[in-house]
Amino acid sequence: MIQLSKNYSLPERQEEPIPIKVVGVGSAGSNALDRVLLDGMDKNDLIALNTDVQALASSVAARKVQLGRTSTRGLGTGGDPELGYQAAIESADEIRQAIAGARMIFICAGLGGGTGSGAAPIVAQLAREAGSLVIAFATLPFSFEGKRRAAQAQDALSRLNEVANAVICFENDRMGDMVAPKAGIHQAFGVADMTISQSVRSIVNLIQRPGLIRIGFDDLFAALRSQNGRCLFGFGESDSDNRAHDALTQALKNPLMDKGRMLGEAAHVLVQVAGGPGMTLSEVEILMRELGRHVRDHTQIVFGTAVDGKMGNRLSVTIISSLASEDSVGQEAPSVQEPFLAPPPAILEEVEELPRPAPKIDIEPEVVPESAAAGDLIPFEQPEPVAPEAPPPAAPPPIPSIKKPAPRLIPPKKKAVIEKEQPKAPKEKCVQAKQEVMQFEPVTRGRFEKSEPTIVEGQDLDVPTFMRKNIRVK
Amino acid sequence: MASGDLIVGLEIGTSKICVVVGETRPDGTLKILGVGQAPSRGVRKGEIVDFETAMKCVHEAVVDAEQKSDVMIRSVYVAVAGGHIQGFNNRGCVMLSDDRDEIDDQDVEDVKVNAREVSIPAQNAFLHSIIQHYHVDGQDGVLNPIGMLGQKLEADFHIIHGVRTRIQNTIRCVKELPLEVEDVVFSALASAQVVLTQHQKNLGALVVDIGGGTTDYILYVDGAVKQSGGLAIGGDHITNDISMGLRIPMARAEKLKTEEGSCVLGNCLPGETIVLKDDSGFAGKEIERETLNTIVHLRLRETFELLKRTVEEEPFINYVGAGIFITGGCSLLNGIDHLAGEVFEMPAHVTHAQTLAGLTSAVENPQFSTAIGLLKYAQAVQIDRPRRGIGRLFGRFFSGMR
Repeated sequence: MIQLSKNYSLPERQEEPIPIKVVGVGSAGSNALDRVLLDGMDKNDLIALNTDVQALASSVAARKVQLGRTSTRGLGTGGDPELGYQAAIESADEIRQAIAGARMIFICAGLGGGTGSGAAPIVAQLAREAGSLVIAFATLPFSFEGKRRAAQAQDALSRLNEVANAVICFENDRMGDMVAPKAGIHQAFGVADMTISQSVRSIVNLIQRPGLIRIGFDDLFAALRSQNGRCLFGFGESDSDNRAHDALTQALKNPLMDKGRMLGEAAHVLVQVAGGPGMTLSEVEILMRELGRHVRDHTQIVFGTAVDGKMGNRLSVTIISSLASEDSVGQEAPSVQEPFLAPPPAILEEVEELPRPAPKIDIEPEVVPESAAAGDLIPFEQPEPVAPEAPPPAAPPPIPSIKKPAPRLIPPKKKAVIEKEQPKAPKEKCVQAKQEVMQFEPVTRGRFEKSEPTIVEGQDLDVPTFMRKNIRVK
Repeated sequence: MASGDLIVGLEIGTSKICVVVGETRPDGTLKILGVGQAPSRGVRKGEIVDFETAMKCVHEAVVDAEQKSDVMIRSVYVAVAGGHIQGFNNRGCVMLSDDRDEIDDQDVEDVKVNAREVSIPAQNAFLHSIIQHYHVDGQDGVLNPIGMLGQKLEADFHIIHGVRTRIQNTIRCVKELPLEVEDVVFSALASAQVVLTQHQKNLGALVVDIGGGTTDYILYVDGAVKQSGGLAIGGDHITNDISMGLRIPMARAEKLKTEEGSCVLGNCLPGETIVLKDDSGFAGKEIERETLNTIVHLRLRETFELLKRTVEEEPFINYVGAGIFITGGCSLLNGIDHLAGEVFEMPAHVTHAQTLAGLTSAVENPQFSTAIGLLKYAQAVQIDRPRRGIGRLFGRFFSGMR
């Protein structure tokens, strides 16, 4: 067996911990935060935003922002996104302060209600203006919650799609399917929170871990490209003897994966395999071969691998992909009618086309006066090559800027990130790797040669047991 | 000639096709009139792969059964098996309207429909939905809710489904003969009807039907079906393993397996050999008994372990009190009960159909459990409600019969 030598090293990539913040908007969002904290995220990275003071008080986040002090006066929004929107605009200043300093912002929100639907897009937009990368995790309501909520959720989703760099969307209905029918309703909701938490953690890891084959933002976006689509996400980790297999099985068991069946329809699949120094090439090979059974031949697999001392004996697999919704296969604009924020072109494909659009006109007066917040931005804009040009405009007219400086600030930043992180190699490499794997199987199945193989737990059971277990008979 | 109602069970197996003809007596007993058999070709892993050939074989078996039992066969109950069959539990719920509080037939139908409203893969079809228990206003363990007072009726069902086209292939194969198909029954469910007594079902039992191409299982707890499914591994795999491991032709491997095979390791003399005779009777190749047994052992152990892992995905196996009941042709292998007992860590028995009148020699062979089970299943269905929509029959049968 070939083994990755531990001495072999690429020019050591210093592990820059990327400053991140996880923002929970609305009560669904703060539930997700609770779970994220439980799963071991630093408390200081969590920010809860809510209109409802009571709910806010019970949140675990270190930083809490009450939205709409005057417009909702500490009560909820009563399911009115318009009110949530107003509240967020009113508190834009505080939000900006709270999210300052983070390079990546994860927004967790339950769409369909008032605060989540109304405020999340604003938060995303503010974060983009502050120069952060924004990945939104949105849950869509259960279908039994009514058509109205579903429509509000769709509306909010399309707005989020416009402003955020990527939106990962969880359908509660699907989560419900995965929970045993007898389980309590809190469990059904809990599954969504858990999945969100896993996604946040694994995306952070994905991007932070020094990779042998690195996965960058661009790869991530490629995998998530189909708009309004369904996100497929799976994460598995194992330290057993058969850890490659176990981790993959676990990843495919994820509610969003449908046991890997959905993968067959995806055009891009992003896979990251991370493990300790003991991870062997053959393990990765086995894993990719198994995964190969679930995807079609022409699916592009973006493959990344990382060795992380902290992983110890464990091996983790992260699979991210998305399915286009029936109609919109391309990456083009949301199929939904233009939302009231504005109709900017789809962001995911090219960063240049940031939302230059104006939100409703009535916002502008309220938002203009903040300059303190803009000041906050500058420090961490600086590392970026293009930043110098940015600050001057950014400071004084920060807010009318909601549109203008933003495009200028972010694109450079993002590009820089991309260039830095994308060694270009991964794609070619992955193609090769996959082909090699395919050639590997000299199986003998005797009389079952021509029948449909019975593959259970990754093993072809038609091959005699003694052969698979390498036991010599005779 | 038959005097009572004729019932015919047909099992299209991977290694043989088997037709059992029985009649129900007026006193409610079943009598077996005859058993027809034909070797099966064109079937792999329980599924038809060569339609024409399989049809000929079914025809042969049916003709054989007609001759032996001296009746005309017009309609049959067909067993289906295969790795594509899966089961799961689901709960249905209906609320009675405010103006009445007595649960009636219609509510029970509604709750059943409701329980079926679950997503199964698009290409799959429902085979059975079997009632486990009803709950009325949160009261558990209600066996028959009709006539009870309550506002909320819930029902736990075990739902068995499989790939629609594969099931239809089996049906079509029979229909083209032409024979009428009365019903399609999951093979392990049929076997369980004759292999288990009601007492054993109540205690909790796992029935494992290991046939030529598939291993099907069904698990009873508290008298209700809790888990079921199929694995596409069976006796053929053992034969294939032997053939490849010892480098002998399939036919000879099959013979070796049935005559000499055992899955017990370590109880033969060191160096003990079996001499393979060739067709003319001359001594041919010698093989070591231990090698043969190792091959068989490894395959069966793996199959049981796989089955155990599958079953352990849900907690019900822990409530099995009566143990494991192994049936099907492959259960004739020497020592299989010990192996199963060892893997599952509970008592295991090799069983065959119990308690039937008629041809007892046929009954006492585990190969026929499924086909005979079909008769018992059919009988129960017919007693309960003769001739109505198939969909209704199942639910009725089990609500009355549990």
